[in-house]
Amino acid sequence: MNLSHFEALTIFALIVSTVFALITKNEPREQFRYGVFVFLSFLAVAFVVGWLMYPLPL
Amino acid sequence: MEQTNERLESTVNSEPAEPRRINLPATIAICSGGWLIPGLSHILIGRWIRGLIFAACVIIMFVLGLGMHGKLYDLNVEEPLQLLGMVANLGAGLPYFIAERMGLGAGAQTAQGYDYGTTYLWVCGLLNFLIVLDAFDIAQGRKP
Repeated sequence: MNLSHFEALTIFALIVSTVFALITKNEPREQFRYGVFVFLSFLAVAFVVGWLMYPLPL
Repeated sequence: MEQTNERLESTVNSEPAEPRRINLPATIAICSGGWLIPGLSHILIGRWIRGLIFAACVIIMFVLGLGMHGKLYDLNVEEPLQLLGMVANLGAGLPYFIAERMGLGAGAQTAQGYDYGTTYLWVCGLLNFLIVLDAFDIAQGRKP
């Protein structure tokens, strides 16, 4: 199975944010909002760290 | 009539019911089941939907991790740091033992998804530990 970095990252973020939201919040509305927040945060941090690493000679 | 009104009033104004608390041995049995079969602990305490979602999350992550040629760690005394990886992998419960028994999870370091796959396998085990702790709190009445 060959997933691109972005696909693997997105699936990872989706699953982890779902579990975090269900564990930490009790109301469905809160769970949804928190889940979306965590999911988008994962993606945003990945983009920022990716661009920060871009100029580094790795 | 008055009695009925009083009863109705007391029902409306009463405090929210105390969360049902399950005794400790039963809680430990439920949590052990939840560790072995992801999501089972929530299903056993009546949280069907949560349990099924948790089961799907952990199992999908485990299968994807194996599919990406991730590595499952087993006991290796010569490299003590691998113990941490094994503890994380053990969190997945029965799927870990089945995969080990089937010889899966050897890990192909040259595969494109090796790092992601190994991370998926660690994280699904760690998530299952969190899920079991959540079930423990619910069963003990610490959480609604």
